[in-house]
Amino acid sequence: MKVAVYWGCKIPTAQYAYEMSVRQVFPHFDIELVDLKGASCCGGPVRSINTSAAMYLSARNLALSSQTGLDDLLVPCNECHFMLSEAKYRIDNDEEMCKKVEDLLGEEGFKYSSGVRIWHVVDLLHDVVKVDTVKAKVKKPFKGLKFAVHPGCQIIRPSEIGRVDHAEKPRKLDALVEALEAETLDYSEKLDCCGAALLYSHEDAALSLAGSKLKAVQAYGVDGFVDTCPYCHIMYDARQKEATATVGGKLSLSVFYYTQLLGLALGIEQEKLGLHLNQSFDSEKLSLNDP
Amino acid sequence: MSLTDLMTMAKSNKELQKKILDQLWKVNPDECFQCMRCTSGCTSLKLLELKPHEITILVNSGFVEELVSSDIIWACASCLKCRERCPQKASPYDTIMALRNLTVEREAKVPEAYMKAVAQIIETGLTQQAQTVTSREMQPFNREKLGLPEMIYPNDKFKVVFMKVLGG
Amino acid sequence: MVQIGVYVCHCGLNIAGVIDVKSVAEYAAKLPNVKVVRDSTYLCSDTGQKMIKEDIEKHKLDRVVIASCSPRMHEETFRKAISEAGLNPYLLEMINIREQDSWCHSEEPEKATEKAEALIEMAVARASRLEPLEIDKIKAENSVLVVGGGIAGIQASLDLADAGFKVYLVEKASSIGGRMAQLDKTFPTLDCSACILTPKMVDVAKHPNIRLLTNTEVTEMKGFVGNYEVSVLKKPRYVDEDRCVGCELCTKVCPVKVPDKFNEGLSQTRAISTYSPQAVPKVAIINPNHCLRLKYDKDVCGKCVEICEPKAINFEQQPETSQLKVGAVVIAVGSEVFDASLTPELGYGHYKNVISNIEFERLSNAAGPTKGKILCPATEKPPKSVAFIQCVGSRDKRFCEYCCRIGCMVTLKQAILVKEKMGNDVDICVCYNDMRAFGKAYEEFYDRARHMGINFVKGLPSEVKASPGDSLHFDVYESNTNKLLEIQADLVVLASGLVPSPDFAELQNVLRVPRSPDGFFLEAHPKLRPLETPTRGIFLAGTCQSPKDIPDTVSQASGAAMKAAELLAKGEVEIEPLIAVVEESLCSGCRICESICPYQAIEMEAKTVEGEETNVAKVLAAVCQGCGACSAACPTHAIDMQHYKQEQILAQISAVVQGGKRR
Repeated sequence: MKVAVYWGCKIPTAQYAYEMSVRQVFPHFDIELVDLKGASCCGGPVRSINTSAAMYLSARNLALSSQTGLDDLLVPCNECHFMLSEAKYRIDNDEEMCKKVEDLLGEEGFKYSSGVRIWHVVDLLHDVVKVDTVKAKVKKPFKGLKFAVHPGCQIIRPSEIGRVDHAEKPRKLDALVEALEAETLDYSEKLDCCGAALLYSHEDAALSLAGSKLKAVQAYGVDGFVDTCPYCHIMYDARQKEATATVGGKLSLSVFYYTQLLGLALGIEQEKLGLHLNQSFDSEKLSLNDP
Repeated sequence: MSLTDLMTMAKSNKELQKKILDQLWKVNPDECFQCMRCTSGCTSLKLLELKPHEITILVNSGFVEELVSSDIIWACASCLKCRERCPQKASPYDTIMALRNLTVEREAKVPEAYMKAVAQIIETGLTQQAQTVTSREMQPFNREKLGLPEMIYPNDKFKVVFMKVLGG
Repeated sequence: MVQIGVYVCHCGLNIAGVIDVKSVAEYAAKLPNVKVVRDSTYLCSDTGQKMIKEDIEKHKLDRVVIASCSPRMHEETFRKAISEAGLNPYLLEMINIREQDSWCHSEEPEKATEKAEALIEMAVARASRLEPLEIDKIKAENSVLVVGGGIAGIQASLDLADAGFKVYLVEKASSIGGRMAQLDKTFPTLDCSACILTPKMVDVAKHPNIRLLTNTEVTEMKGFVGNYEVSVLKKPRYVDEDRCVGCELCTKVCPVKVPDKFNEGLSQTRAISTYSPQAVPKVAIINPNHCLRLKYDKDVCGKCVEICEPKAINFEQQPETSQLKVGAVVIAVGSEVFDASLTPELGYGHYKNVISNIEFERLSNAAGPTKGKILCPATEKPPKSVAFIQCVGSRDKRFCEYCCRIGCMVTLKQAILVKEKMGNDVDICVCYNDMRAFGKAYEEFYDRARHMGINFVKGLPSEVKASPGDSLHFDVYESNTNKLLEIQADLVVLASGLVPSPDFAELQNVLRVPRSPDGFFLEAHPKLRPLETPTRGIFLAGTCQSPKDIPDTVSQASGAAMKAAELLAKGEVEIEPLIAVVEESLCSGCRICESICPYQAIEMEAKTVEGEETNVAKVLAAVCQGCGACSAACPTHAIDMQHYKQEQILAQISAVVQGGKRR
């Protein structure tokens, strides 16, 4: 299966481990990723500035995607996935916005097509590749390990526009982790937000939100924490130390992109999955099947 | 000695209120019946005192002026819980975004980081330049070193159109 | 030559505020056959009607045209008025220049006036061609079918039976009693629900005029008002009702455990059981999906047979279909409780200590799974704190937009009961949006709750989370103090609303009752006819029409009984003559009309017409609903509709196309 892929801003400029691990794992499931050429920001921060401009940015990337001739578009970042899905829903149902966006796209020679199916890593694996297939390809299972998953906010809400998983009881990421023969955890803070959007204006509050969740998760005694979004990962991994400082106490929780764990289970080397870039990974505490 | 009236005799601004309501699509803040579900679950309540129900009733009453120049509308974490759970489809999240848009339009106080992101998009199409990151072992890495394909940025035509959208 | 009187109503300013009624009256005066034209402020008033009657006598009018509001409002009124003046009531033509003109074209008064003139021209054209018609009277059955054996059905049955009608009370479950039988106490008196209900249940069982059919459902309904033919299916109990004495020994020995539906799944009963401790009839029933012998069709177990002295067990029992002939039907099928697992953020279905209000009733009931002790389902220990959360599924555009009407009162009652049972050993808080205590003695009941130290929090939580020890906690923003409260609760009770039952969709087709957008059965008029349905002879009572409490249910049930009695009291019903009529000399016997009729109101009859033996179509006057499908389909124009003849309609079309100033 050929799938176009839209990386957004953070992944291709800083969160390289996510890009590396995504590129590594999907070929194992006969999925070929086709990069978009000249993709721009999805409009995430622009939503706060000018809604039409944000819709246009998202629509532009959808137009680029349909130019590849492929029906399916993988969007690994939660925020980009939300922005593109919102834009599609609005443009498909609001004639006024549709006309506005189509006119703007026309100036660059683009045409909007509503035929694009927007995927995220979680539902592309869970619903298309299917959990049993993932399980069957596992060479190095994580038996005996327990992970807490962080579904994130923007891929499960708002359910009205159709999201990746159930808004109140998301279980797809858990199922994918369990496919690697690890255990997952049901915990009350599961749906808590990482706070990344507040980095633009209230950095301390953002770090405090992330720190509180990490503190709670650590108290449950898990071996690791799993996310699927570069923003969440920045909060929980890259900035774990600062987040810890805001809530006090000692925090040391290994945080992974799901695709990194999947890659390891498939037998791919740690370096190819960018594991050396994870700041929070305590390789002494947690040995992870390096071949 | 005269006494000062300490109660604010707030005046509502119907014009600004209309600007906010006109921006909203399929969302109806005027149907809010103050059940408190949004605020009870708001991600930014405890740390930043953001009360989505209060923002909604202020807009419904026309007190948009005080919101436009406030800090509080920038405290939303976009977690979308209020949008998901509101029983009246009043979605405070959308109202807050409309307030932010209006703030920008009136050239009032906007957190710098947003303007920086927009400026960067104009320049390169993305919100930031490709960075060199350090590994756990303090080694520097960039896309090339990690074996990732070269990035293809949008062409200049994009810049022209994007600036047009922002302006218009 | 007909003499037509035209009356244009102002309807206060409803019509006159938009339409130039004087100009319309002038226009009408110039139309053919019009003898008298008047305009009046309120034609439906005594004065207005008097004026019309006087004109009929004075000017010898033989047709009347009234331009006013919708016929749905006053057609009956004016028909009665003209018949009092000696004119056949079907010589009246009413046209709607209010709902169909002044109200919808209020922004364009000139065009609205033009439209009124066109409508009057059409009306005059038709009026000239109207013919007198007679109302038919048909014998009506002296019996009523009541569907549903909850308090609504029970009350309606008793009222009708006491009035001398024969009543068939059909109940889907194996006992009557419905929701009320499940309740502990009722607000605001805190009467024991079973204590006030069971005497009525026993009355039903004993009443010589009531035939009680439990474990029975309505499968088909044919016929028409006064003469309904209903098929009912009695499902097998596998227990002989005449032999079983209700000793319940069979239940004690049955080895198969089954969730107890009456206890809302909070306890288990057996594959053979009695519906509830106070069931009427007190007869056991075997669940064929769980009974080993019935499920596997093998000669196994049989412990119930062994122990049953009266030898009441009968595994060979078959379903029974009966045909009932009734004059009217009262629908009292009740409703369901909202499934709170649709709002999983509140923890229902996930945490055992989050329960619904109906589950709480069973906990509190002395005959329930905990013998009336308030115990947390997960730990079976009494809670130190209980939180009630209101509006679950109700007033919520994601689920039910309507208010459930009973949630506030039920919670007040349940909170008071907890306080009475546990005193200061328990902390109670009620999280609400509005507190609706609207009925008689309801506000005083709310006051009582506040006096008992129950905390009222004006604010609803967003989600409920787990605490150690199977306890729960949630944040709620209290809007009056502007404080975020962190509530700890060992037991959380959700005020789930009432929803239409999923089988309403099928029932709607069988019972021929439409539904409103909220899914409940539709009344004929929300204000003035809340007990009737658009189908004549079919009435509604109880929560199947809309959520309501017991006093309102009982009122509605007695009202519906009266409506049915009123209809059948004379022993005959009037049938309007607005039906199809066959011109036999034109009928070719092709049978297209017979096959197209949605009401099966046309039969073929062997007849001699103009000397020839032939098959002609015959319209069953009492069944025909006057829809006109046969008339439109007939290839030889042999069928016409009384009061809506082709000639009359074509005259209307000609009038509007060729008449007046409009082109």
